[in-house]
Amino acid sequence: LCRGGLAERLCRLQNRERAAISFWRHQCISDDKVPSDKSGVLIVKILEIFEECTIQVATCQQLEQSPVSLSPEDALINAEEPILKVLFTRETAAHLKSRPQDVIHIYPPWQKLLLQNADVPVIMNTYFSQKVLLSEHSEAREKTYGLTKMLIRKNIISLAQTFRLDDLDDTLHQESSGNQVTCAPQIHNNSDSKQHPLALSAVNDSLLEMVESQGAVGWREMQVRVIIQRVYCLPAREGYRSHTQGNKPFCATPIANSNPPNVRLCLLVQDTYGMFSEVQLQSLSSTDDIEQYCRRWEGKSCCLAGMKILQRTTRGRALGLFSLIDSLWPPVVPVKVPGQSQDSEMMTTNLPPPSFCYILTVQSGEIHVEVDEEEQISNLYQPPAVHGLKEILRIDGCNERCSFWAQVLYQRLKTKHSVPIDQREILLFVTDSTLQNVVHGIPKVVAVSVTASCVLSMEIIEALSAGSQLVFFKDALWGNGRIICVERTVLLLQKPLLCSAAGADLSELTGPVRLDELDSTTQANSVCALRGTVVGVNESTAFSWPTCNRCGNGKLELCPQDRELLYCNQCSEVVTTPVLKMQLEVFLSCPSRSQDTVKVKVWHEMSITLFVLLTMLLFLQTYEVQSVLGKEVGLLNCFVHSVTSHPNCVALEEIVLL
Amino acid sequence: VPDELLLGLKFIFGPCAVPALDLVDQRSVTRVRSPSGRTLYQVLGSSGKLYTCYSSCHFCTCPAFGFSVLQKNESLLCKHILAVYLSQAMGACQELSVSEEQLTNILLAEEEDEG
Repeated sequence: LCRGGLAERLCRLQNRERAAISFWRHQCISDDKVPSDKSGVLIVKILEIFEECTIQVATCQQLEQSPVSLSPEDALINAEEPILKVLFTRETAAHLKSRPQDVIHIYPPWQKLLLQNADVPVIMNTYFSQKVLLSEHSEAREKTYGLTKMLIRKNIISLAQTFRLDDLDDTLHQESSGNQVTCAPQIHNNSDSKQHPLALSAVNDSLLEMVESQGAVGWREMQVRVIIQRVYCLPAREGYRSHTQGNKPFCATPIANSNPPNVRLCLLVQDTYGMFSEVQLQSLSSTDDIEQYCRRWEGKSCCLAGMKILQRTTRGRALGLFSLIDSLWPPVVPVKVPGQSQDSEMMTTNLPPPSFCYILTVQSGEIHVEVDEEEQISNLYQPPAVHGLKEILRIDGCNERCSFWAQVLYQRLKTKHSVPIDQREILLFVTDSTLQNVVHGIPKVVAVSVTASCVLSMEIIEALSAGSQLVFFKDALWGNGRIICVERTVLLLQKPLLCSAAGADLSELTGPVRLDELDSTTQANSVCALRGTVVGVNESTAFSWPTCNRCGNGKLELCPQDRELLYCNQCSEVVTTPVLKMQLEVFLSCPSRSQDTVKVKVWHEMSITLFVLLTMLLFLQTYEVQSVLGKEVGLLNCFVHSVTSHPNCVALEEIVLL
Repeated sequence: VPDELLLGLKFIFGPCAVPALDLVDQRSVTRVRSPSGRTLYQVLGSSGKLYTCYSSCHFCTCPAFGFSVLQKNESLLCKHILAVYLSQAMGACQELSVSEEQLTNILLAEEEDEG
């Protein structure tokens, strides 16, 4: 049976019902009494019975009260009493052994069915029925009806009805009030492609019901009200599926034209039953709006219409999506329990986390997502819980979503420059006051890996290149000792209006940023500060070149007119005072890592001491290695390229923090 | 779908209810349509076999229908027919358009099986 499907539901309901029936039957045998309270009990007197395909159909008269309390004269058939058709299952009928003139008490829950073409209501689900014996009549009845057989009558359906030659209604009316169910026999002909205006359609509050009732075709007429928990962008690729197993980013073949990036705006929504759904909306032309959408839409309620089901995904297949759903579970306010009537006592927060989620998308044509931007933030909304980096590093778990506010110190492209922009992977080195203010034990700076599946707005990319930035990382993933930004993580320049600080110290950094010093625990792809003594110089790596003092262009050319002067193509002018950039590898002896050879590539904006050193080395050309050796090198900020053990070598590169 | 409705289905249709709902859950019902407007329904049974249910009258090509409904008159319908009605009501039918010839072939093929 399909998990979560109607069949499974009915099985469960059926089991419950059967248990209730056997319990009730048992109770009936032990005490048979007249019901004192008329809470939903239907009292009927059977007029005639026949059987149709294992169902016993009894034409009855509904009685106001039990005839036991009436005198025999009064207990005559009163023409004014309403006529009902009561159905009994074979089992119930065998139990009752009903005859005409019998009075039956039908206990709830029973159901009443009003058919469109008939004016006699039908009573069903009559499992809890009990016959009332009228002692005066019982002996007489025994004699007269002892050998009466059941009348079996076949209902003859006219062929006109069978071939649907009658003019029948297309619409389905459904009202449920208590135990009554009103419905019409429903025939869907070719005319079910009618477009109903949205204004007339009812607003539903259950995603599951909408999905079940309308199926994959989509729902055109109905709307569902949900609240938006998260807004993010997903890269839109044909056949893209969010497989992020083991934190390996999804890599696709390069797309020729990747500018502008092809992304879709997505919403993670939740209904009042606590069920989640991911709604994939239109493609965004520019990713700069994502911050706007987040600010305007998160936490607000909206009406969805015109959606269709793209996929029904489960926990095992969409780890990324479910890690986000888990971070929003359990719900902060009680949610309704499906299948129960709208009783406020039937709300709970004690539910297991969801195991499946529908991914919806817009049908071709109009998108109907009406967000109540003016309305207040919903109670169900769970803003991202912001923690200090120190707390996040201590989280015990894998694939946990976390949000934090940090200063980006340095960024490094992990993929080559030639890789298209939508497949680049970046390493960001971040810190906050919780890491900076600690003495030892945890790193001062943490590396955050931004995979290609995490969509960055142009605004963020430019801001990060320009200088050190305070960035809000929303719903990044923590696992295996690393923080990574994957799909559904959003980087924002402004702190969202609503977020629970959870006691984190979100103050700005005071004073200069400090990096961890190079030591035995330093690993590759990290940043550190080092100090040491020059023990060697790798002359083969020495390289210098002039750059334009105006624009920084490193590819200057010789002036055609005067070959002594340099010319910059980008500025279209002669460069009179070029800035010299140099690069060299030096070997240092660092007390903190005395076993290893520390090799540092030093280049462009350099620390003063080395600049002087290299000027001596490269231009004056009157150096002696001995004069260079032994020079103390102060605290250099470096990026660690590699740490190898055979030979013991640490290769670093001097960097400039943003 | 309220619980009462599901239990109501169970009451009336008995053992057919749960299998029929399962067929609906799995979207097993296809409405086959030809250009002239003729329709019929094909239901993918649990055994993997495809059964045809007529839209113009109460009939299914499955053996259960022949036995329980026609012969013994024990049941009103079979699970496939119920699945067709439920799928219609819920809009969960898959749609398939075929040519006149193809539709005719489907109908004739059923005849051959019985004959």
